Amino acid sequence: MTSAVSALSRAELEARLEEAEETLRAIREGEIDALVVRGADAEQVFTLEGGGQSYRTFMEAMDVGAAAFDHDGQLLYANQALCTLLDCPHGSLTAPALIALLDPVNQAAFQSLLAQAQQERQSAEIHLRVGNAERSMLLTGTPLEFGIVQGAAVTFTDISEREQAAAARESERLARAILASANEAVIVCDRAGHVTHLNGAAMRICAEAPVGKTFAEAIALGFPEASELMSSDDIVTMATAGLPVQGLEAAVRTPSAAITDVMISAAPLVVSGERTQGCVVTLVDLSQRKAAERHQSLLMGELDHRVKNTLTMVMAICARTAAHERTIEEFQKSFTGRIQALAATHTLLSNASWQNLQIRDVLAAELAPFASLSSGRILTEGLDIAVEAKMAVSLGLVFHELTTNAVKYGALSIPAGRISVRRIADGDEALTIEWREHDGPPVTPPQSSGFGQTLISRSLGSGGAKLEFSPAGVVCQISIPKS
Amino acid sequence: MADPIKLVLYVAGETPKSLAAIRNLEKICAEHLAGKYRVEVIDLKKSPQLAREHGIVAIPTLVKELPVPIRKIIGDLSDTPKVLVHLAVEESSS
Repeated sequence: MTSAVSALSRAELEARLEEAEETLRAIREGEIDALVVRGADAEQVFTLEGGGQSYRTFMEAMDVGAAAFDHDGQLLYANQALCTLLDCPHGSLTAPALIALLDPVNQAAFQSLLAQAQQERQSAEIHLRVGNAERSMLLTGTPLEFGIVQGAAVTFTDISEREQAAAARESERLARAILASANEAVIVCDRAGHVTHLNGAAMRICAEAPVGKTFAEAIALGFPEASELMSSDDIVTMATAGLPVQGLEAAVRTPSAAITDVMISAAPLVVSGERTQGCVVTLVDLSQRKAAERHQSLLMGELDHRVKNTLTMVMAICARTAAHERTIEEFQKSFTGRIQALAATHTLLSNASWQNLQIRDVLAAELAPFASLSSGRILTEGLDIAVEAKMAVSLGLVFHELTTNAVKYGALSIPAGRISVRRIADGDEALTIEWREHDGPPVTPPQSSGFGQTLISRSLGSGGAKLEFSPAGVVCQISIPKS
Repeated sequence: MADPIKLVLYVAGETPKSLAAIRNLEKICAEHLAGKYRVEVIDLKKSPQLAREHGIVAIPTLVKELPVPIRKIIGDLSDTPKVLVHLAVEESSS
């Protein structure tokens, strides 16, 4: 060895020394990570990676994608799982190839993660395109020493499915919220016609625990307009077969239902593709409209009935008045007065929508041309009693006759005269009202019974009126039957 | 036209420094020696006996074989100016 060295020139020796010093410096400064040792037979290479091989072995054992990067961000190693995830052959993945999968925004996020992961644990969500598919990955980087090299290990977890599942859950939640928020009752049935979903409005018209039942079991409907030939299940069958049903009116017959009439529409339920998954049935509450229609129909019938009654009454009044009056003028005056009495009561009834008319109102209307109830000449007591329309008409005519008589011959014929109208009895079947005149001229009973008296005594049906021509003033007790 | 610079890079499989040296040499060649070099990479993990030809001790090591004199640059070649000096390649000559 000595001879070999001595044979070298100074320049060569200097070069060898420089190389030896350079080797030592490189070792000291960590620029090399392998050494060649000459053994007895051959050279052997020893790496200074320390656990270098073990980290690769460990990474390969991981299910998630994992990669090691040095402090410059260069890829040192990528495991099989990551190569599979990114659809590239094992061993071919490089940092530039990985970067190329990312758009500029995700590149920046990835580079930032890699830089920070050299110092501390860091996570970020990255979106990249593998083939034609968008993938979302959760990257977690941690500082790691690969022998003498500082770097970072990054795991790649594919969260695309998790995100898709979350999106599906959100979509389901949204669909349920829409269903719940709908004002109309909405019922969803599967292909077999069993109820799978329904909202709160639908719960109110369905039988108890409708989910799982057939549509017809869940909600009892009748179809009067279809002559009852149709059934609830027919609607579901049609809609599931792809034939929408629109605006069919039905009566709800579920005993517990709060509504009575609905308008039904049904449409096929197509979730994805073209196959029908079932149907969606919506039921709009028609109860109020139907009730209004029924009320209107009732009123029309009632009006018809009343018009006929009134005409009959007018004809009777005309005939009777004609029989009792001697001249055309007298007839005209009496007849007009009686028709006006009828009209006054009708006006009252009309204003009160034919409901809740009180005896006091009828009296006031008939007395109105001659005296008001507040004038002091008329004393009323206990007349705040409702009477039905038919009775009000009769009572109006009776008050008209009494008033006309009082104006002609009784208490209203002189300024000092007064009339008291009081309820004097209130039995279970009838109540009695007394018309009593005071301070009028002395009364003498009429020679003959006029139509007025006849009307008074006959017009109250099962009730009746008792007329007494007392000298101090006319007294009439009117019995009003309670309906 | 001058003879190309012949370089031999000795690495040990895929150790971090070997990978860094390959990367750095690719960059230097592309940026400073365009069209004027020939590189041979020798993996001593696979063929350790090839270390004997240039008396390689530390890995990675780059050997400039041509033009003579032979020069060795030990380390991952991250210090570009130092590498260029050792290769006797001036910026202006590139």
